[in-house]
Amino acid sequence: MAHEAEAGVTPARVLHRKRWPPDLTTPGLLGLPLGWLAVFFVVPIVIVGAYGFGVASLNPGPHSFTLTGWHDFLHSSVYLGLFWKSVKMSLLVSASVVFLAYPLAYYLALSGTKRKYVLLLLLIAPFLTSYLLRVLAWKVILGDQGVFNTFLFWTGLRDPDHPLSQLLYSRFAVLLVLGYIWLPFVALPIFVSLESLDRRLLEAASDLGASRWQAFRRVTLPLSAPGIAAAFLFVFIPTIGEFVTPSLVGGTGGYMYGNQIVDLFGTGFPDWQTGSVLSLFLLGVVVLLTIAFARFLQVRQVTAG
Amino acid sequence: MEEDRGLLERRLSREDLLKLAAATGGAGLIAGRAGVADAARSHLAAETGRLQVLDWAGYGNDGGQAMFAQYVKKYPQNKPKFTVMANEGDALAKMRGGLKPDLFRPYVGWVKYFAESGLVQPWDPKLISNFKHLNPVMVKAGQYKGRQWGIPEDWGFDSILYRTDKVKPKRRSWDLLWDSRYKGKIAWYDDPVEMLVVAGYYFGVKDPYNQTDDELKRSQKLLISKKKLVRMIWSSETAMDQAFASGDLWIAYAWPNDWVIAKSKGLKVEYMYPKERPISWVGMFMLGKGTSRPKLAHAYVDAWSSAKSGKWLEDNYGYGHANVLARPSSSNLLRVLKLSNPNAVAEPNAHFDRDVRRRALYAKLWDEVKAS
Repeated sequence: MAHEAEAGVTPARVLHRKRWPPDLTTPGLLGLPLGWLAVFFVVPIVIVGAYGFGVASLNPGPHSFTLTGWHDFLHSSVYLGLFWKSVKMSLLVSASVVFLAYPLAYYLALSGTKRKYVLLLLLIAPFLTSYLLRVLAWKVILGDQGVFNTFLFWTGLRDPDHPLSQLLYSRFAVLLVLGYIWLPFVALPIFVSLESLDRRLLEAASDLGASRWQAFRRVTLPLSAPGIAAAFLFVFIPTIGEFVTPSLVGGTGGYMYGNQIVDLFGTGFPDWQTGSVLSLFLLGVVVLLTIAFARFLQVRQVTAG
Repeated sequence: MEEDRGLLERRLSREDLLKLAAATGGAGLIAGRAGVADAARSHLAAETGRLQVLDWAGYGNDGGQAMFAQYVKKYPQNKPKFTVMANEGDALAKMRGGLKPDLFRPYVGWVKYFAESGLVQPWDPKLISNFKHLNPVMVKAGQYKGRQWGIPEDWGFDSILYRTDKVKPKRRSWDLLWDSRYKGKIAWYDDPVEMLVVAGYYFGVKDPYNQTDDELKRSQKLLISKKKLVRMIWSSETAMDQAFASGDLWIAYAWPNDWVIAKSKGLKVEYMYPKERPISWVGMFMLGKGTSRPKLAHAYVDAWSSAKSGKWLEDNYGYGHANVLARPSSSNLLRVLKLSNPNAVAEPNAHFDRDVRRRALYAKLWDEVKAS
């Protein structure tokens, strides 16, 4: 410091000198993704917001800020009823899939099998095919003359004139196909959280006299809870606004909130204001749920291990 | 002529002006003042680039090439470029959103709406050589305030397609669409207007396209109460055809094309002519406002309007064609479409689709039916 003072260089000037040339690593790394998010996420949301509050309109003519769309939405038993129906369907899918995926991830992470990454690859293998193809394949399986019903006819459990029609074009079909589609997404974060588990904790539990079930319930499960929460969100967020699967296999019973939004934007008579209100409401709910999950279940522990 | 002026009204870009200056200057040196005028006119008349067509799936390069083959042969440098419209509402959203097609094809019930929207301009029938062969009833349906806003092309009916080996209708009526004996085997059509109109005809209201609030409420109530019998509300014709072919459906709100498809798959089917009468429709080409290719658009429509194209459409798609000289090869189709009767689409034979003043309200009520 004395040497620097002697040289007439103050600490502030040293700092200034260190900042030049500026370090562009952080802006360089973050610039593109942030720009991408701004252009393809923030700007579209602002536009949707403008339609939702009447600032922008699909039709020419005078228009200004209004809360009419929101008032109508919040007083509509139809839209809110449909939203609640979609929430319930999405919760059911998410919970079921987490329940099914957990043992799978548990086996892969903790069984000590050498082939766990091969098995993991097999688990995500369906992703190598198109989403649409995977959904459409279920039509072949669940149809009145499909694989499942044909099997029932063959075994004599069902008369060919009376197939199980509830399998396809129904709410059940939507739940089943969504579960199938999202199962690998759920297994992965649980697998990651279980694999990063400190095995010494399990050994300690055992040394202290805990049974395997007690060790699972009091050590493994709590420590993998953040992974479960993350997995749950991975499914819940996209499925609550889902519209492709319901439109392909849902029939009249599987119509969801996402289908209503699509219809408002273009299928029927375009009503972009109401469509925007529905979209923003969905976005708001998803954001709130994400915050709640992050705060109360400490999702960030997934990365912390 | 006002139409001619309209056709040739173009905004000149800076590039156009430079080209025009070059053309007129060069021509002036060679041929004097008369040549200048000719060159200017010919440049203005010259239409460049690919013709932008907004049309339904199956009518572009995905199967409908025969309909505009004559145009492509004549204008190989201006081949059509297609954008797909899912329905008129989708087309409206796309055009309001900035898409500027040279022409597009809504159905007759939307002619007035689009004519008043400021998105289209009238045609000049004199530039369409086949116009004189088009069915006068349909031509009239394309007019609004004395001008030709829509050029009629394909036409057909909305009615009920059903399996004769599985379904025994109690009567020839639209109520087959909610016959409880066939619960889970019925499909309705996803349209903001048509199912409410069908319910209106079923109740015998005066004007199903413009129902009063009470009438609409009753129609909606009927549909909501019967929806539990319905397996599918289709917006994709292909999805409905596949479900029908696989036996998942026995009864469907359908178009003549679906009858042709079901027949071709060996199914025993009937296309019903209900006592309340079927709904009829006709596709109308409409010309984009301020298009820079008006003459190419007219040539495209002319190709579509020929008897040859019409026959191809009838033979391959199972729809009628507005050209009265077009006749399908199949006598079955001739019977189903009642092609021998030029008034088949009009009252009292069928209910011609028409303008719906409160279309937004119909759409809202229909959305509520689907969401119920």
